Amino acid sequence: MSLLPLFELLEALPSSVALRESIYGYPILLTTHVVSMCLFAGLIAFWDMRLVGMTLKSVPVSLIPPNYFPWALAGFAISSISGLLLFYSSPMRFYGNFFFWVKNALLILAGVNALVFHLTTYHSVDKWDSKSVTPFGARLAGILSLALWAGIILTGRMIAYNETNMNPMTWFTAN
Amino acid sequence: MLLPFFQWMEACALSVVFQSSIWLTPMVQIIHLFALTIFAGSILIVDVRLLGAVLTQIPLAKVAKDAQPWLIGSLLVLLISGIPQLTSTAMKQYYSPFFWWKMECLLIGLVFTFTLRRKITLAENASLRTVWPKVTGVISIAIWTSVATGARLIGLLS
Repeated sequence: MSLLPLFELLEALPSSVALRESIYGYPILLTTHVVSMCLFAGLIAFWDMRLVGMTLKSVPVSLIPPNYFPWALAGFAISSISGLLLFYSSPMRFYGNFFFWVKNALLILAGVNALVFHLTTYHSVDKWDSKSVTPFGARLAGILSLALWAGIILTGRMIAYNETNMNPMTWFTAN
Repeated sequence: MLLPFFQWMEACALSVVFQSSIWLTPMVQIIHLFALTIFAGSILIVDVRLLGAVLTQIPLAKVAKDAQPWLIGSLLVLLISGIPQLTSTAMKQYYSPFFWWKMECLLIGLVFTFTLRRKITLAENASLRTVWPKVTGVISIAIWTSVATGARLIGLLS
């Protein structure tokens, strides 16, 4: 099943056309996307680094979510909305974009990683809350999250560089 | 007055290397973004603490001290990875109002972060009952948001 008809349908909607043709829509949305990404990814990076044992070792692990997650989630919400609108402004621009699809795959993996951690290892947080060395499951979740979000930022930036010779999909096909 | 300097930057050897490669600029931009994320985190982990009654069980100075090496390290990576991005497009930067806006905000941000904000964050918790920590947090977030906004707009509205 191809998503192409859906992308074409979205691209033709009047509000998508209006957003695409507005002068300030794209700059405002992209700037909002990057600034809110800082709020979300910055705080989540420190959460991950605490799980790995790289920083904030004297802060009990369970204190971080109630204190910082509302801010991180606000950043994530703004980032998601601005990101969806960026996509909506020009769906066909993204359809053939290698980095766009990899970024979305990594986003799903990051979500699964966070969900698995909260449903498994995090349940026993009482036992290792104040330890500077966290259990293997927590360190693994932290490393995976850092790697996945680094990949998301990398592929997100590369979406803008989808010229023929930089698009990995074209490396394996004849000119 | 600075025009000759910017013209020289655009033509220097480092710029030529970056201008003749399609991969170097995106790679350095990605390193810049990674460092930006860590920098934002090390600023916000303290600013959020300044703004609200969060993590009150942990002394502010301790969080600030833990964040400090990440703050300085990521700042250095940001500055170093910023150099080729500036020189290789020096003329575009020179004529972009957002570049000058970013640099002014950056200067204010650096001075503020390493003087007033540092004094507040390394103070004992008692002073947190006053309004000054909140004011410090708001100013800090406002300045660094201005830097990031200006930075992103150089490439979009110049």
